[in-house]
Amino acid sequence: MSIIGEVFKELFAMFLADARLTFATLFLVAIVGGLVAGLQVEPFLAGSVLLLGCLGILVGTVCREARARPHR
Amino acid sequence: MDPISWSVAAPAVGSAFIASLVEVVEAFTIILAVGTLRGWRPAAFGTVAALGVLGVLIASLGPVLSLVPLHLLQLIIGVLLLLFGMGWLRKAILRAAGIIPLHDEDAIFASEAVQLGRASDRLHTSLDWIAGLTAFKAVLLEGLEVVFIVIAVGAGRGLLWPASLGALAACVVILAVGIAVHKPLAKVPENTLKFGVGTMLSAFGVFWTGEGLGIAWPGQDITLPVFVVLFLAVGLATASVLRRPAMEVLQ
Repeated sequence: MSIIGEVFKELFAMFLADARLTFATLFLVAIVGGLVAGLQVEPFLAGSVLLLGCLGILVGTVCREARARPHR
Repeated sequence: MDPISWSVAAPAVGSAFIASLVEVVEAFTIILAVGTLRGWRPAAFGTVAALGVLGVLIASLGPVLSLVPLHLLQLIIGVLLLLFGMGWLRKAILRAAGIIPLHDEDAIFASEAVQLGRASDRLHTSLDWIAGLTAFKAVLLEGLEVVFIVIAVGAGRGLLWPASLGALAACVVILAVGIAVHKPLAKVPENTLKFGVGTMLSAFGVFWTGEGLGIAWPGQDITLPVFVVLFLAVGLATASVLRRPAMEVLQ
């Protein structure tokens, strides 16, 4: 039973290691989906929002983690 | 295979190979601890049993994947790749910047040895089971990540076989090196590999999420290397800006 539990814990950790990164990414994908399907935004613009948004989320979560951990 | 297919197949095979290399090294360390301390029988039993479970999982997942429409599959895999790849990249940047400790195979080997020693004190009779289960768990958990990586980098473009070959090659390489050196593979530059794989998986994630959402990338497959370079540049720049003095490795 504990092995099954650990397998699920590991799978969960694979995609939800950082909750902020996960939710921000899902939110970004939903926004880009809305831009493409709902507002018929140009694909290049929607793609740029997706790419730059992902890079922004990455830098933002790393900087946040760095600020949260004190210097040793 | 035509040249355009190769431009996608090569990163898929390379990502599967390097990512699997990292996971197989982690599993190998624990199998080695079990084999060295409790004998190779439970280590081999646990490993083979876990590979069997993984085989059943792959055999049952394969037909299901072929039933999912391509755009939906690309979207689901793209999002999962983004979460997985950016998660790896985030951790690799933090490690490269000295904010969190590096992964240390020697320390993991020592920790597994201590845990098996404690189990030995508590339960004399079923120790081979405990040793076998330790190997089983390690191979199953790391193997699941390998399976996901192979599916993620291969399924979106029908490249499951090349990606699987990349993963298999990683297993063979680690097994050969492991048999030769017979100790934890502590010299593998794990964070550098994770940095590279996180970069590639994130780039694949943006590419396939976009395709799944109906975005036609300018230049199509040629866009992938551009994304890789962008993620790598941003990751390296962030690590460089945040860099702190070297800290001790994970105990």
